[in-house]
Amino acid sequence: MTERNTGIKPDDKIDQEIGEAEQEILTPWKLVRRKFLKRKPSVVALIILAFIILVVALAPIISPYDPNELDMTNTKQPPSKEHILGTDELGRDNFSRVLYGGRVALQVGIFAVIIQVIVGSIIGGIAGYYGGWIDNILMRITEVFMSFPFLPLVITISAVVGVSIPAEHKMYLVMVILGLLSWPGLARMVRGQILSLREQEFVLAAKALGIKNSRIIVRHLIPNTVGYIVVNATLGVASAILQESALSFLGLGVAPPVPTWGNLIQYARDIYNLQHRPWLWIPPGLCIFATVMCINLIGDGLRDAIDPKS
Amino acid sequence: MLRYIGRRLLQLIPVIILISILIFTIVKATPGDPVGSNLDPRATAEQRQAERARLGLDKPIPVQYWNWITRSVQGDFGDSYIYKRPVIEVIPDFIKNSMILNIFVYIFAFLVSIPIGIITAVRQYSKTDNFFSAFSIIGISMPTFFFGLLLIYFFGVKNQWFPISGMETVGKNIEGLAHVKDVLNHIALPGIVLIIANLASLVRYTRTSMLEVINQDYIRTARSKGLEEKVVIYKHAFRNALIPIITIVGFTIPSLFSGAVMLETVFNWPGIGRVLVDAVNLRDYNLLMALNMFFAILTLLGNLLADIGYALVDPRIRVD
Amino acid sequence: MNNLLKVKDLRTYFYTDDGVVKAVDGVEFQVKFGETIGIVGESGCGKSITAMSLIRLIQSPPGKIVSGNIIFDGEDLTQLSDEEIRSIRGNDISMIFQEPMTSLNPVFTSGYQIEEILELHQKLDEDQARKRAIEMIKLIGIPNAERIVDEYPHQLSGGMRQRVMIAMALACQPKMLIADEPTTALDVTIQAQILELMNELKNKMNTSIMLITHDLGVIAEMADHVIVMYSGKVVEDAPIIELFENPRHPYTIGLMASMPSLAKEGQRLETIPGVVPNPLYLPKGCYFHPRCKFATDECKKLQPELREIAPGHKSACFRAEEVTR
Repeated sequence: MTERNTGIKPDDKIDQEIGEAEQEILTPWKLVRRKFLKRKPSVVALIILAFIILVVALAPIISPYDPNELDMTNTKQPPSKEHILGTDELGRDNFSRVLYGGRVALQVGIFAVIIQVIVGSIIGGIAGYYGGWIDNILMRITEVFMSFPFLPLVITISAVVGVSIPAEHKMYLVMVILGLLSWPGLARMVRGQILSLREQEFVLAAKALGIKNSRIIVRHLIPNTVGYIVVNATLGVASAILQESALSFLGLGVAPPVPTWGNLIQYARDIYNLQHRPWLWIPPGLCIFATVMCINLIGDGLRDAIDPKS
Repeated sequence: MLRYIGRRLLQLIPVIILISILIFTIVKATPGDPVGSNLDPRATAEQRQAERARLGLDKPIPVQYWNWITRSVQGDFGDSYIYKRPVIEVIPDFIKNSMILNIFVYIFAFLVSIPIGIITAVRQYSKTDNFFSAFSIIGISMPTFFFGLLLIYFFGVKNQWFPISGMETVGKNIEGLAHVKDVLNHIALPGIVLIIANLASLVRYTRTSMLEVINQDYIRTARSKGLEEKVVIYKHAFRNALIPIITIVGFTIPSLFSGAVMLETVFNWPGIGRVLVDAVNLRDYNLLMALNMFFAILTLLGNLLADIGYALVDPRIRVD
Repeated sequence: MNNLLKVKDLRTYFYTDDGVVKAVDGVEFQVKFGETIGIVGESGCGKSITAMSLIRLIQSPPGKIVSGNIIFDGEDLTQLSDEEIRSIRGNDISMIFQEPMTSLNPVFTSGYQIEEILELHQKLDEDQARKRAIEMIKLIGIPNAERIVDEYPHQLSGGMRQRVMIAMALACQPKMLIADEPTTALDVTIQAQILELMNELKNKMNTSIMLITHDLGVIAEMADHVIVMYSGKVVEDAPIIELFENPRHPYTIGLMASMPSLAKEGQRLETIPGVVPNPLYLPKGCYFHPRCKFATDECKKLQPELREIAPGHKSACFRAEEVTR
């Protein structure tokens, strides 16, 4: 090597570190996985969430009692060996209700987002791909939906429609309302993605080869948009869980006797329970917080891993 | 610019009509007799019929809608069942109370979060950035009502430092500074929740917008010109990041009122959000429809404001 | 001392999660006053990083100039404080980039972006700066300069924007202009105009140009001297005519053979087999040997140094004397 003078010296260790390692061929998904695994908070969040999901999924096995089993001889008990989170005013085991409440909360969150993704990507995809007047009309509709005052409208609809729906079916109503009112953001994003993809060479090439529209959408456009949809859907589950818990807390969402984390916190609306039986309402609140935070962290990790810009 | 605003306002009209039809339909879809809740339960069938006729409920739905909308445009939303007064007289007080709770919180949140968002973006992955990223993710993941309840539990009942309900101490007729202090005391707990929740999402938003801008080619150009880093960040980058931030300011305006629904309920704050929940629970239909229209128009105006702000800071948007 | 710039053993490394990328690894070259030097190589060979290193625009972390001297006009740029290097950027050395569409700030008028640099380095007041900006825009051959100063980048075409970039870069009459693929994103006819303009202005202002491109055609038209880079290293360094008539590195030869305008008549176009190696997993020995048809066992084990094989002509190939087109 040639002479080196002043100040900065190269780090010779580096030369040794770079071996002749064979280069692994990475598919896009492998790359995403690798990048994701490098984000420690997201990985930890994924592990915790997996644990939460496992526990609530196994609720029928884990929970010591039937969540709806009344025991009038054992009401309003503080935490004990038999009832680790105490019992409520009807003698139901609170721990079991928290476990089952998690099932409901997660189901509502996930299915609301599935509805949102289906509606959002179909509308966004069609608008973006066909453009022109179809795009115009669909985007106008999307704008109207976007100008809905979200929370007030959700409250109004679930209160008004909820009247005629039996308690055990109210969770489906919440899913549908949340799903049908929250798709516009996703639709806009999908449309934007498709619009920019549509102009790219590989799509033009596919068109020039006379490949059918539906096939172009399915084979070329959707796979290239799916990353963004996954990120949005993940973060969407977090907000759907928050919205469901808020509605249920107000008594307008999932209704007792079906337990959900949100309606379990309702105990705290009674000042005596709030002050003297925190074991009833703090655990479900912490469950919402932990679950939502894990999902948000995973969503952030996915975004960093999928978005080529970051 | 004025013409642009005028045109945008005109474009709002069909949207408002659509929303009003939707809201009307939803409320009318309610099963059960809306007269039932308004009337003495002992009323006879004839009395009920007379009441229905008086309220125009015996007419076909489209006619009912027409009557409602024409009266609404003139400011007549009917009487509130809860308050036994015209809806139009009931609402302003609650709007005022919501503003007392929210407006300072939002101004504070914006003033603080924008600089924090910029600093965390510029020093991405620094300790400061990690701290605020953790803060943001906690803040956006915490259900506000649960956070409010925790504060009530710890600082309202375990330690009785702050009042936990309402906007002023009931029965104490205090005036002037002492009254202001009393109200501030009541704002404390819900205010903390609102500030933290808003800071969390605004910091996150500003940071993301700023990060996106910082990696653009024109920032490299600005640096290659020899500009100071301060000028590069606060002038070249921030002017661009401002565009999405302005959108959020616009979107935030309706949530000044609707975002506090949960907290107003938890803290029993006599604001418009709590009234909405009351109207829903007590089936006060006139009030409910009026409130929904209020929120809808507010949302639309917020969006419009965002668009105007957008057009002002982004030369790429042509307004004529 | 007729060198404006002398770069010695420049190394710029990027410390990524996957390992160290030696983007620029021991690069050496000189630029004379008023000379146009071309830097050629495929994408990823370290051309742009070399340029960015010169004015210390490497994002750190992950990037870092780990060693080397950049002697510019008698001063070592690696030793300057941040403030000192800023007074050189845009003033003594300025830069234009590949993407005219995104390199101008969308929220400021084109005039403002020129004025800003004049107010900064030449301490002009607003009126003077504006006058000078209009002059500059006229100088770069845009007719209605008075209107263009008040237009935003999105109102201009790609070619116009690149002209504005050039006006901005030359506003302070720098001693050196670094042009990083200035015409790659433009239409062919506009390309020729921009290159012509750069040549003209260079002669007017006696500015040295460092032209970075992957296009040997552009080099042939513009450069006085050429540096060929491969995987962060200089592999050949020669005056323009010498290089084209007598290339002495298999990579240079390969590049020429793959160019229609430079290939010998009647000869089939050749391609260089293989791809540029991943900078994280560079081969042992000469980085080019897996793609080289002249490679011997020695090339697989040892890395050739850049050496003078004829006066003013350097090559980093063990078999430089033998290889030929």
